[in-house]
Amino acid sequence: MAKIIVVTSGKGGVGKTTSAAAIATGLALRGQKTAVIDFDVGLRNLDLIMGCERRVVYDLVNVIQGEAGLNQALIRDKRVDNLHILPASQTRDKDALTLEGVETVLNTLNKDFDYIVCDSPAGIERGAQLAMYFADEAIVVTNPEVSSVRDSDRILGLLSSKTRRAERGEEPIKEHLLITRYNPNRVDSGDMLNLEDIQEILAIKLVGLIPESEAVLRASNQGVPVTHDDQSDAGQAYSDTVARLMEEDVPLRFHQYQKKGLLSRMFGGNRR
Amino acid sequence: MSLKVDRDGMAFTFKGGMLPMTVMELTSADPERIREQLAGKLSQSPAFFQHTPVVLSVEQLDEPHLALERICAVCRAHKLLPVAVRGGTDPVKQSSWALGLGWFPPQEAGRPRTLESVPTADEPVEEAPVVDEPAPAAGAVGRIYRGTVRSGQQVTAPEGDLVVVGAVNAGAEVLAGGSVHVYGALRGRALAGIHGDAGAAIFCRELRAELLSVAGNYKRLEDIDPRLLGTGVQVRLDHDQLGIAPLD
Repeated sequence: MAKIIVVTSGKGGVGKTTSAAAIATGLALRGQKTAVIDFDVGLRNLDLIMGCERRVVYDLVNVIQGEAGLNQALIRDKRVDNLHILPASQTRDKDALTLEGVETVLNTLNKDFDYIVCDSPAGIERGAQLAMYFADEAIVVTNPEVSSVRDSDRILGLLSSKTRRAERGEEPIKEHLLITRYNPNRVDSGDMLNLEDIQEILAIKLVGLIPESEAVLRASNQGVPVTHDDQSDAGQAYSDTVARLMEEDVPLRFHQYQKKGLLSRMFGGNRR
Repeated sequence: MSLKVDRDGMAFTFKGGMLPMTVMELTSADPERIREQLAGKLSQSPAFFQHTPVVLSVEQLDEPHLALERICAVCRAHKLLPVAVRGGTDPVKQSSWALGLGWFPPQEAGRPRTLESVPTADEPVEEAPVVDEPAPAAGAVGRIYRGTVRSGQQVTAPEGDLVVVGAVNAGAEVLAGGSVHVYGALRGRALAGIHGDAGAAIFCRELRAELLSVAGNYKRLEDIDPRLLGTGVQVRLDHDQLGIAPLD
């Protein structure tokens, strides 16, 4: 039985795909057999972040419409053995997805995998609802700004009403808060919402906090999930997040402003 | 003969609508006094007087005959557009119609209950069925909702009080026929007395509300005294004015 985790946010551009890629990679690095599915049909990005865009032949829509088998569409990650990617279609739109089709794909993956990570599109429409419908757990990605927090709040409402677990009255989806692009420096100066305020409004458990980092942009452009960059703060923060998802107790890091010493100021400090 | 209605051939459709409307409650029938007061108001907030439609309420006047035409002229001169008259005697009704204005019956008749006859917000909560499960409990007496009411969600207790054990977030809406109690931060919209119960009230532990309304009288966040924000308050109607007072 696989655990189905949806990575969602409501708002676009907060780091859903980056987080889905980094978390799926982290789970696979810990020996968990993991599949990561791009639900953003029409605006596919996950393959770029995972660095497998040149190996895409078939996609999720092909599988759902019976034009290809699931094994033909799944791309094996080059860096980690246990990781597979199911890309989205770039030429179709989200209407090509059906609830039954998605269910069949997830049921098939369920037998062979430990974790299925669903990378949700932005918004609250069909694509996003299909990505969350079958989930067991949800990672709600939020930036420290008011509009992102409000959209996350909206998504949390949908998670508790428009999902299979909610409709069947089963145990509710386990909700995790993942704060990305956190900059303690700018929180101190009042430019960004602080951690406590976000947690108070959303009232769900924090699973991770990813600092604003150059390593993330670099990783995206290179097509190497940032978890592989274990020297970077963001890479370490995603590893911590994965550990917490697997119910390990890891103390929170990178949430406090660190004053730079003389040496690190002179030499540019540790990699950010 | 075809019963089909040709949509392109239709000139109009009738639709029910609820529009916000300014009621001008007259306490004097003297057009000169009205003119003076309007002139003062106009200089205070010129933005309000932009051909704003108003309903002239004459319920508080005890005069069988009104200089309605002159009052309307004074209003128009100050860029208010009288569209209807509320209350008054039969001659007032007739002259409203003669002036091309609508006429509404006095409001008091429509109000179901007055302040005194209503059991106030303090008592009915205990009578409400207490339900342990997180799912909201609906009942004629009231409703208890446990958890955060999130953006885009609407929780309603059509009859009786609504108790929210948790926060009401920005973009969420809580409504009750009776009073609204929020044991947490109230950041969204709260509407009490949605059927016109003027004795209803709103209670919350931390006031951050986008909108507060009791029996249709409302205040926006902008209208709320900033000193009250973040504190525990009760909100109730006092002579058609929404009053917000600290709980402690």
